[in-house]
Amino acid sequence: MGELNRMEALRLIDEIFPDDPVVVNVGAAIREMVAAVGAKPNHLHILDSMGLPPAIGLGLSLGLAESRFNKVVTVEGDGGLLMGFSALSTIGMLKPEKMVLVILDNGTYGSTGGQPTAAACTDFVGVARACGMEAHDVEGGDDLRRALEQAKEVRTPLLIRARIGPKTEKTDYFLHDPAILADTFRRYLKRTG
Amino acid sequence: MSNSESDERSRAIIDGIEAIDPRYVLHLPSSTLVKIIDHVNARANTVAFPIPREEEGVGILAGLELAGARAIAIVQDNGIGNLLTALTTFPVAYHIPQFYIVSQRGGLGEYNSMIHVICEKVEPILDAADVRYFKLDGRVPMEQWTPTVTKAYEYSRLTHRPVMLLVNLMGG
Repeated sequence: MGELNRMEALRLIDEIFPDDPVVVNVGAAIREMVAAVGAKPNHLHILDSMGLPPAIGLGLSLGLAESRFNKVVTVEGDGGLLMGFSALSTIGMLKPEKMVLVILDNGTYGSTGGQPTAAACTDFVGVARACGMEAHDVEGGDDLRRALEQAKEVRTPLLIRARIGPKTEKTDYFLHDPAILADTFRRYLKRTG
Repeated sequence: MSNSESDERSRAIIDGIEAIDPRYVLHLPSSTLVKIIDHVNARANTVAFPIPREEEGVGILAGLELAGARAIAIVQDNGIGNLLTALTTFPVAYHIPQFYIVSQRGGLGEYNSMIHVICEKVEPILDAADVRYFKLDGRVPMEQWTPTVTKAYEYSRLTHRPVMLLVNLMGG
């Protein structure tokens, strides 16, 4: 089984959830997502609020509970999850059915030089389950594809921890005006949801 | 400040929240806000829930706003330092309206010997961060309290940014 890299994982997420709202976490992950599939209106790019995507995804999942969207997907890294760790408890308490939280775990702070995180000694899946979420560990592209497909049918908040390699693709900076990013995303939700 | 005066101020805030009619209310624990938090927890057709930290509330509130839901947060000013980075890098930068009712501590009527160390600096901190706020305290006639709550909420929408309403329920 070959090691999955982040851009491949991001491409898979977009392929399986092409129209549902997707929150994309900070830094290199955004640039790789844009390089892989473009700047899509259903993608909310969180440029610099490390640790905040799970909370943002929770708010969206609650607010879009009655919408036509099947799922609200949030992409987060292992370092970002550790920074906003308390959100897992709030997600487990509120149980938003549409929430899918995908942790792309490369064991490092990949956007800042690859410093190690505490992910290697942290059982994210165990924590998520203890908080009341459904959760699965996956490794490799086939596993991730299967988990994402199955996520479409799950009716409880779900965490998928995907172990990926540390490789970061060389990409251009993504320097869009955040006010326009939010407005584009909001209009997409209103028009489509 | 007598209990009845404090209750009158809390009642005015509650009436303002009723006029806003939020679908979601996020709250952090606060002894001075307890009557208001109890009210929203019991309110029909409102999902009120605790948040463990202020910056998590910033993210949840922003997601709710983007989804088109009416939502507010109730916090205390000694936690403002926790949320500044989240607030400025997301809802401020992305022009997402948010409304916070913020209990003011550390002035006249305070009983805690330490809390003023951060609370007395909250206004200059918000000024430095260019976060808009309004104030309700003993200098504001009671009849203006409830309308100010609703106007501050509407002002956050009008100006596409977070707005805070600092409320003194302790006597200052």
